[in-house]
Amino acid sequence: MIARLYAGYALFFTYKMVVEHMIKIDNLTYRYQADGPTALDEISLSFNKGDWVSVIGHNGSGKSTLVKILMGILEGYTGNITVDGEALTQDNIQDFRERFAIVFQNPDNQFVGATVEDDVAFGLENQGLPREVMIERTEKALSAVNMLAYRRHAPARLSGGQKQRVAIAGALAMEPDVLILDEATSMLDPEGRNDILAILDEIHKTRTTTLIYITHDLSEIEKSDYAVIMKDGRVINEGSIEHIFSDTDILIESRLVLPYQMQISRAFLDGRYVTHDELVARL
Amino acid sequence: MLSNMLLGRYIPGDSVIHRLDPRAKIVSVLLMMVIIFFANHWVGYGLLVLFVLGIIRVAQINLFFLFNGLKILLFILIFTFLLHIFFTRGGTTLFEWGFIQIDSEGLITGIYITVRLVMLLVITTILTLTTSPIELTDAIEKLGAPLKKIKIPMHELAMMISISLRFIPTLMDETEKIIKAQSARGSTFMTGRLKSRINALIPIFIPLFISAFKRAEEMAVAMEVRGYTGEAGRTSYRELNWHLRDTAALIVIIAFGVLLFLVRM
Repeated sequence: MIARLYAGYALFFTYKMVVEHMIKIDNLTYRYQADGPTALDEISLSFNKGDWVSVIGHNGSGKSTLVKILMGILEGYTGNITVDGEALTQDNIQDFRERFAIVFQNPDNQFVGATVEDDVAFGLENQGLPREVMIERTEKALSAVNMLAYRRHAPARLSGGQKQRVAIAGALAMEPDVLILDEATSMLDPEGRNDILAILDEIHKTRTTTLIYITHDLSEIEKSDYAVIMKDGRVINEGSIEHIFSDTDILIESRLVLPYQMQISRAFLDGRYVTHDELVARL
Repeated sequence: MLSNMLLGRYIPGDSVIHRLDPRAKIVSVLLMMVIIFFANHWVGYGLLVLFVLGIIRVAQINLFFLFNGLKILLFILIFTFLLHIFFTRGGTTLFEWGFIQIDSEGLITGIYITVRLVMLLVITTILTLTTSPIELTDAIEKLGAPLKKIKIPMHELAMMISISLRFIPTLMDETEKIIKAQSARGSTFMTGRLKSRINALIPIFIPLFISAFKRAEEMAVAMEVRGYTGEAGRTSYRELNWHLRDTAALIVIIAFGVLLFLVRM
């Protein structure tokens, strides 16, 4: 009897360790105007800790609305959001903000500080951390995005990609549980975009921070563990990358552009998911 | 025309003056503004000019560069000078022609007042030339801390100044972009009569304002999600350190003030 109880506990804890749902969203519905169309329509999602989750959708699919609700910018939604089992409410939003960090689309409009290091430290100042901790964390975060050499530069002297890297450093310095990137690469050139994706890959390897990557570009999701396809405020498909690309019709229907290797696979091969290297090998 | 204007410009450098605590510099400038008025005859003015030249030397500012930058204010200086020459009476009459009369007293006062104005301008320009805007903002916040007691929001003011300064280059770029976009659509800004040129500015300012408000909105959201809730419970990453040299600088200024006061007649 006792043995069975222990076995039960052991199983329960193993379960908790294996599938630790960090964020759980239940029946989330949101309207911008009370009688307007639904921007989000009964969304239910759960994200695992340390995963890189991509949320993909065309303009107006509701992906940015979802982020704004998670960050507590929009109020008046119905449904539940729990983080580590704790429900998100208007009263505890300030505590959640310390665990969530976000990088927005426009690199210019989120640069608060007069210099790179001032900007990275801005969030830390808001948390009221002692100066020594701020210096240590700022340096660490700036090295993680290869921007330490630019620490005293003013934003006007940086490229868009560099500014976004500073924004990521500012987010990392907060040591968040969840890092959200809301189309953070859409205003960058291909080089800047690849830099950002490489940095995210490094962060992902540590598996300490859950990444939520919002994009409309299917070629950026290759490295993610899980993908969610959104259309008109609803989730129309979700799962592993292989699963997402197993049904390319849905993607095309959602007005998304397939990555080149998937277009080749669809046109000339069996249409199954391939990476660039696999495609080369098979051809 | 605006490229060589020095008012409010900062030029990075590594002189002692550059490295002084911005608070020390602001207090010194305020003291100097009072001290300048102690001088009341040629010995005092001579000492004053020498002292200011000394500061310029220590700050490693090119003298020609400095006065060239202040040329834009020449008109005000000449106007003040002429005003005193023609309207101050006393001493011996040097020149008389019709209703125009120039007295020796007028000439001397004119020179004194002009020197005084130039010194005021030079002193404040040295401050902005050697201190970065962000240091100035920090110093204003720190020095203004007592004003918080009478409900003047010094932290918010400093934050506003710092964000405004940070957005100047961004909005400059934006203005340039809009001008190019409107020119491509056939607008002309540089030709025509004054009225039509002013009218031509409207299609620049409206898009600029709209985008500035959009930026402000996004910035506010970005600040909010990074946990900004105002001054309460906030610590500061940047730090101002008061060194011995800052105290020394103040002592030098005060000593000079005492000297200038003693040579008064």
